[in-house]
Amino acid sequence: MSDDEEQYNAVSHKKLLQTISNLGNVQHIRKSTRDERQQKQDEFQLVKSVNTAEHAAKAVGLNDLVQILRTSKHIETGKKLKNVHSTKKVLQKPLEKPAADRIKRTIGYESVSKKLGRWDAVVAKQRSAETQIFPIPTETIYVNTAAHSNAIKTSIKSELAKELQASNEKLRQLRKAQIGDNTDEKTLAQQEQELLQKKMNRQELYARRRELAYLKMRESQKSAKARMQNKIKSKKYHKLQKRQKILEQMKEFELLQKTNPEAALEKLNALEKSRVMERASLRHKNTGTWAKNLQVRAKYDKDVRKDLAEQLAVSRQLTEKKVDTDSEDEPAAVKMEANEQVDNDPFNPWTKVKTAEKPDTQTEENEPNWRTYWTERNKNEKLLAKHRAEIEDAKLEKVEKLKVEQSKKQPKTKSMKKKKKSVSAVENGWVVEEVKEPPVKTQTIEDIFDKHEENIRQKVAKKLEKLRKQAEKLGQPSKKGKSIKKKRDELQNLKDLTFKKTRQRVEIDEPLNQDEEQPNLAAKIAGELAKPQKKSMESEPTSAETVIDPNKVTTITWKQKMHASDAMNDVLADDNEADYDEADAAAERQLTISQAFEDDDIIADFNKDKTKDSELKNTELQLAMPGWGSWAGAGISQEIMNRRNKRLLLKLAAPEKRRDDNKNNVYINETTSKQARAHMVSSIPFPFTSMADYEASIRAPIGRNFVPETAFRMLTRPAIITRKGQVIEPMDESELVKPDRRLRHIVDRRIDRLQNPLKATKVQ
Amino acid sequence: MKVKMISRNPDNYVRETKLQQHKLPRNYDPALHPLEGPREYVRALNATKLDRVFAKPFVCNLSGHRDGVSCFGKHPKLLSTLATGAYDGEVRIWDLANRTSIRNFVAHDGFVRGIAYAGNGDRLLTVGDDKTIKMWSSQAPEPGEEEEPINTILSRHILHGISHNRRENSFATCGEVCAIWDDQHNDPIKTLKWGVDTLHTISYNPVETTVLACCASDRSIILYDQREAQPLRKVVLTMKSNKLAWNPMEAFNFTVANEDCNLYTFDTRQLQTPLKIHFDHVSAVTDVDYAPTGQEFVSSSYDKTVRIYHAHQSHSRDIYHTKRMQHVVCVAWSLDNRYIFSGSDEMNVRMWKANASEKLGIIRPRERANFNYQEALKEKYAAHPQIKRIARHRQVPRHVLNAQRKMRAVKDKELLKEANVRRHSKKGKVPYVSEKQKHVLRQDV
Repeated sequence: MSDDEEQYNAVSHKKLLQTISNLGNVQHIRKSTRDERQQKQDEFQLVKSVNTAEHAAKAVGLNDLVQILRTSKHIETGKKLKNVHSTKKVLQKPLEKPAADRIKRTIGYESVSKKLGRWDAVVAKQRSAETQIFPIPTETIYVNTAAHSNAIKTSIKSELAKELQASNEKLRQLRKAQIGDNTDEKTLAQQEQELLQKKMNRQELYARRRELAYLKMRESQKSAKARMQNKIKSKKYHKLQKRQKILEQMKEFELLQKTNPEAALEKLNALEKSRVMERASLRHKNTGTWAKNLQVRAKYDKDVRKDLAEQLAVSRQLTEKKVDTDSEDEPAAVKMEANEQVDNDPFNPWTKVKTAEKPDTQTEENEPNWRTYWTERNKNEKLLAKHRAEIEDAKLEKVEKLKVEQSKKQPKTKSMKKKKKSVSAVENGWVVEEVKEPPVKTQTIEDIFDKHEENIRQKVAKKLEKLRKQAEKLGQPSKKGKSIKKKRDELQNLKDLTFKKTRQRVEIDEPLNQDEEQPNLAAKIAGELAKPQKKSMESEPTSAETVIDPNKVTTITWKQKMHASDAMNDVLADDNEADYDEADAAAERQLTISQAFEDDDIIADFNKDKTKDSELKNTELQLAMPGWGSWAGAGISQEIMNRRNKRLLLKLAAPEKRRDDNKNNVYINETTSKQARAHMVSSIPFPFTSMADYEASIRAPIGRNFVPETAFRMLTRPAIITRKGQVIEPMDESELVKPDRRLRHIVDRRIDRLQNPLKATKVQ
Repeated sequence: MKVKMISRNPDNYVRETKLQQHKLPRNYDPALHPLEGPREYVRALNATKLDRVFAKPFVCNLSGHRDGVSCFGKHPKLLSTLATGAYDGEVRIWDLANRTSIRNFVAHDGFVRGIAYAGNGDRLLTVGDDKTIKMWSSQAPEPGEEEEPINTILSRHILHGISHNRRENSFATCGEVCAIWDDQHNDPIKTLKWGVDTLHTISYNPVETTVLACCASDRSIILYDQREAQPLRKVVLTMKSNKLAWNPMEAFNFTVANEDCNLYTFDTRQLQTPLKIHFDHVSAVTDVDYAPTGQEFVSSSYDKTVRIYHAHQSHSRDIYHTKRMQHVVCVAWSLDNRYIFSGSDEMNVRMWKANASEKLGIIRPRERANFNYQEALKEKYAAHPQIKRIARHRQVPRHVLNAQRKMRAVKDKELLKEANVRRHSKKGKVPYVSEKQKHVLRQDV
């Protein structure tokens, strides 16, 4: 060991190590020198030189240049170079080829998909068209022949008119010469201006476009920012933000209070409403941390349980709909009235509110918080309404008064007005409320209708509410991260553009029921085809009605109703009803029917029907007829007669038990043939969603014997019409900009005419 | 002799001008026709039965090729002209109206891989295994002259297919690369390359004529734009796609015939899931062609059958087969939407009616009205079980049934297995994957 250490030479050791490490990267190919201009660089020339530090001198850098220049007389240039070096950014290295290609590909794909997207509307229209005609009728070009026609040579003007015109002309010329009248020039100038305006319009258009682009950019920036903010998970951050928001709102509110009291009041209401919304939300049930903590303890502590129950009760009360708040408000309103008269500061509208609030809180302290809240709120609203009315009045008066007075004296007059008005308004309120008392109930048809209307109104209100909620949700997409993350649907446009087909057709998308091919095919098919025909003939009468659910009494009555009316019209008007909610409609129908037949005892009738059916089976037939087969006179004993009668009594088989004997609410029709069942549809076929729709489509006959000729033609129009011997060209670009086709076919025109009045009625 | 016949006064029912309303000799009050429903039902039933009775789709057999038929070329203007290429390099041009071959010539050494007519139909382009593209005139040469191509282009790469742009004078070939050619130059204007796979079919979009698509041997479908320097996108399916057809009425939809017995309809803008999977074939689907109306397409398969599908339904509407028809290689739908051509391994080109029970020949207006009525009735009552049963009943060859049974068994087994695995694993670990999502492996950007 010691010997080795003595012999150790640091320098030589290092050299040795270097040579060893360099063994692998000996460069056999020399770096070529470029002496001639070449179109293509040989790839071998692009070798990276290894360990430049050792062999080649360090490449000349900009700094070296600067150094040299500094020492020489070109100090200025040196400085400039230095500046450039420090300030200007070096261009980034271009992307690697695969990555660059990928970007190119994505861009290309996007542009192509955008281009293909142009066809969405055309395709959607084609798909929903009732009949498609191929080859697609080419567009007809209408030339305005009037533009090229020669002017009428014979003059319309009378001699007198001509002379008048000539004299007018003369007069004008004279004027021009004498006074310098230039009416004609004016018109010319006007025209020029119009032209200029047109030009300006174009520029404006550009400007507008730029503006829009800017807006869009801003929007995207903002959305990006929002997205970033949403991603922040820190609770502290959110807490701070919330606080900041509240502070901002407070400030705003204070400012408003000074400048625009009315708006401030409204704002206050809005704030409170939002608070209430929050309170009423499920958050305050028992899901909060406090409640959860309590829940843990609730097992062991009675008081805690009580607290929790209270909390739940409060939440229930909050969420419950309050029915007659107005009636409860009345006494409070009276009090308020009194108070107002006493301590109203005429210069400050806010004092009024405060004074109005005070007594309420005092009197209703024993009531729960939410109740006081509600009364307060209602009062606020009333006050607000009053306030508005006053302001309007004030405005009316303002017009009369001078402007100078306005600035200082207006609040005074306002408040004075308030005093008077408020009394009357409240009085008015009283009167209105008294009138509103519920009338004595008498169940009449009108009532039923009224109720019905009410129902509808409620439903509409509900729906509106739903829609509003949805709109709200849509309005604040940034709140939820999910909606942003959701992938964009490329076909959304196409889906949006598709509309409901005018005539729904049954689509059967099932595998073919395949059977093995057999040699004596023809005979078998013939036999097979003969069979079901017989069956169908037997079961003819019942087969057409697609009985999907025979137990539905209501649908049957409805069916009859429909049947009586013109079926054709129903089909045509079908799309009118389409957007009407199906479920609602069904429910309504049920309601009306049950209400309409309220007096009739349906159940009793139903049971009677049932027994009647079974009665028929119970009867015994007496075949003996009086006088037949018996001699008259003495010696004929009654016994013999009775015996004979007994013999001739045809006893039918014991009555079969009805299948629905022990089922109270069921009536099983036993007279229907079982064979008919094979012909009935068991489920609603695909594009149809409701039985009513499907039944309607089946019910209307289409044959010549049942509908007029034109209707027949219309109803049996095939979905695709092609012409023999004509090449069908693929879709053409002209289809994109084509106006509505002029309808040549008489049936088309008729359909159009039929549809147009429908549209007109819809608009009304 | 007294001849008894019904005589009606035409004044009672013939209107004097066409502007007048039709006279109504009949009371249409529905109350007077209580049995209108049942009567129509019976009519529908009878119409359905008649439809099946008259369902004789086979029109004719065009024989003349001496080897299996490999490809079709539809004339864009003439309905009675069809060009077919065979495995022995022969191209035949048929007069369909007379059911004869009007012209035949040997175009290539080895297979004829693809035939395409130019946009106006005056020229015919063929590609073959000998790496040449040959351009032929549509006019037959004078009786004494020999068949010679107008132009022959030697390609640097192997060629597998050709497609002609509908509007411009450019065409595209595929093979090792996708190349766009101009009829003026002997070199491709552009070669588009993505990977080194064999592209075995190419098809121009007939509506957006700059867009084209290829099927590659690495199970992918590649989309191109003629004007771009790079391909656009690649979708990899679980198995190889054999052919591709664009919908001529819906610019963004195309259908591929896949090796896994299914056809897939895609929307170009949403390639991660097919719009529709079309089942029913029991062997590899070899070719697909759209009806010019864009409503339906026809597919041929290795299972010796031709099937017709609605473009937006997943099960076939009809199946065509004959005893002697072997593996069907290529299929085409005529441009008047009336006929279907199928070329098969056993050297025959067959012509079928697109609508099996359609009456050929002249149809008078009253007859037409009656047919329309029958169609409407069939459509109206299509969901009724008896009518459905009759309308959808088909005799198929035994081997198809057997294969179907086998496929079903395999499918059932797989389903059962999956269900079992799901039952015995943690909840949510074995997710439910829809059928549509199973077949697209990935989408390369």
